[in-house]
Amino acid sequence: MTSWLTTDAPHHQGAPKPIVQVHDLRKRYGTLQAVDGVSFEITEGEVFGILGPNGAGKTTTLEMIEGMRTIDSGTAIVDGVDVAKDPRGVKARIGIQLQASSFFDELNLLELLELFGHLYGRRVDAKELLVDVELSEKARSQVRTLSGGQKQRFSIAAALVNDPRVLFLDEPTTGLDPQARRHLWGLVRQIRDRGHTVVLTTHYLEEAEELCDRVAIMDGGKIVALDQPLALIDALLARGFTKERVERLANLEDVFIDLTGHTLRED
Amino acid sequence: MRWVVYWSLFVASFKMFVRNRAALFFSLFVPLLIMLIFGVLNFGGSTTVTLGVVDEANTTGSHALVTALGHVTTFDLHPGTHDAELAQLKEGHRDLVLVIPAGYELKVPTAGSPGLVAYGNQSKPEQARVGGLLLNAIVGQMLAGGGAGPLVAVQDLPGRSLGYIDFLVPGILGLTLMQLGLFSVSFGFVQLKRTGALRRLFATPTSPAYFLAAQVTSRLIIGLTQVFVLLGVGLWFGLHLVGSIVLLLGISLLGSIIFLAIGFGIAGWAKNEDQAAPLANLVSLPMTFLSGVFFSRDAMPAFLRTITDYLPLTYLNHALRSVVNDGVGVGAIAGDLLGMAIWAAIAFLIAVRLFKWE
Repeated sequence: MTSWLTTDAPHHQGAPKPIVQVHDLRKRYGTLQAVDGVSFEITEGEVFGILGPNGAGKTTTLEMIEGMRTIDSGTAIVDGVDVAKDPRGVKARIGIQLQASSFFDELNLLELLELFGHLYGRRVDAKELLVDVELSEKARSQVRTLSGGQKQRFSIAAALVNDPRVLFLDEPTTGLDPQARRHLWGLVRQIRDRGHTVVLTTHYLEEAEELCDRVAIMDGGKIVALDQPLALIDALLARGFTKERVERLANLEDVFIDLTGHTLRED
Repeated sequence: MRWVVYWSLFVASFKMFVRNRAALFFSLFVPLLIMLIFGVLNFGGSTTVTLGVVDEANTTGSHALVTALGHVTTFDLHPGTHDAELAQLKEGHRDLVLVIPAGYELKVPTAGSPGLVAYGNQSKPEQARVGGLLLNAIVGQMLAGGGAGPLVAVQDLPGRSLGYIDFLVPGILGLTLMQLGLFSVSFGFVQLKRTGALRRLFATPTSPAYFLAAQVTSRLIIGLTQVFVLLGVGLWFGLHLVGSIVLLLGISLLGSIIFLAIGFGIAGWAKNEDQAAPLANLVSLPMTFLSGVFFSRDAMPAFLRTITDYLPLTYLNHALRSVVNDGVGVGAIAGDLLGMAIWAAIAFLIAVRLFKWE
């Protein structure tokens, strides 16, 4: 597990081609313009982060691309399929982890994964999927008996049943302790290394810095910045930005991890 | 239509129901418990009807009738005067009082000749009903034996001794189908809605209609299984099942559709269990007591009976009871079936209007 944190995963190079193309996407709820003209492209094989404070429009943007929410105006094309015209076609090509993922209580993990496989018209190797997310020993348990981190890992396994071209994760680490969060980062890198494109939302900035190849920062329904994390930081520094207090070489989270270790606590 | 998708959702719906202890408890165990309780209380042996007999005719014929009644084990016979016996009835010591008026002759009643009168105790409607049926049967039998020609209306009664179980089982069948439709759907479905499990399902390319179809068909199968189980237990308690099983299943299916549609209407409208529960109870409670599940509706005030005649469970119970007790065919319950079909259509339209996936 710990090796995932220290090993820097190889990045996919070569001719980049857009797998998600979003153009001038808009969504209004009553008087609130939740998403206000968002455009971006996501390259195949990258981990793309959407950052922003609560209410910035991250989830709404994600759900319009996924075909989970209707689009007021603008277009979103995923793997060549226009979401507005064929939402089911898009859903068949992607994997979705919802912010508050919930599953049928009375079915165990194996049964759930097999069921979800059928919903995509596929016969899945549920055991193999559980091995991938390190939940083999919970195969016959119900979701409600899992810890927070295990639930999120299961939810990712369920989003992988159709071997998706793009995996959408909506705040996958919210509410997890630092150990479980780091563990999930490792899982996301593994998924990326297998060639899946990953789109995630988060409000943990160090998570974005750690995981994402590129990030879009949203505020008030608009994208206010979009680049590689380091490029964004360099641009800020180039504008003459200085911190009031010089950053130490370690922070409190490093102390926490040092004291409590990387081992997952799942009870 | 992709059958694999439907089938996997059907199996999942079925498993979810069978593994949900609360659902099983309320839809299978509670009706069985009610039957067991009434079974132990009421029909360890045959039902006894306390019958007061007032013989004001005092003829050979009336004596013969009283003697014949005395041979019926179901009757606990109490001869007495008119006023004394009616007083006993008011005190609750008689279920039924038979008055043989002066000048009565044991023959087919003609216009103007005094006929037999029986007073039933309104607080013991089942005994009064069973006693009334028996009286008619015996008198009919005696008249037929006397060469006066058979009374068609009572021809099928001789030999049958209807007890409370015969009244109760069809009522419990109706009640169970109503509870299954209303509660298992409204609670289970609203829970899926509230937790987001339903939403997760729609993150897949499968149409929600598959899930709805799987839920409905799995509930229908569970409902029909319950009909078999309850009839089996009823037979063990001495139920006289004279009607067609196929017809019973058909009626049960139609009844289930009404209550499933109402259940989905509630589930579709409600945001959480707190909204669904009162509404489901509001629909089910009046019918539990006013649609003839436990008590005969004959005991109800006329205006209440008129209103409740049109309740879906009243139609369902009446149809089930007619088939179980009297073995009637489709023709005799056409009115009930029509009433149920209209309710099914209304409930379906309301469900479609109210239904929201999120």
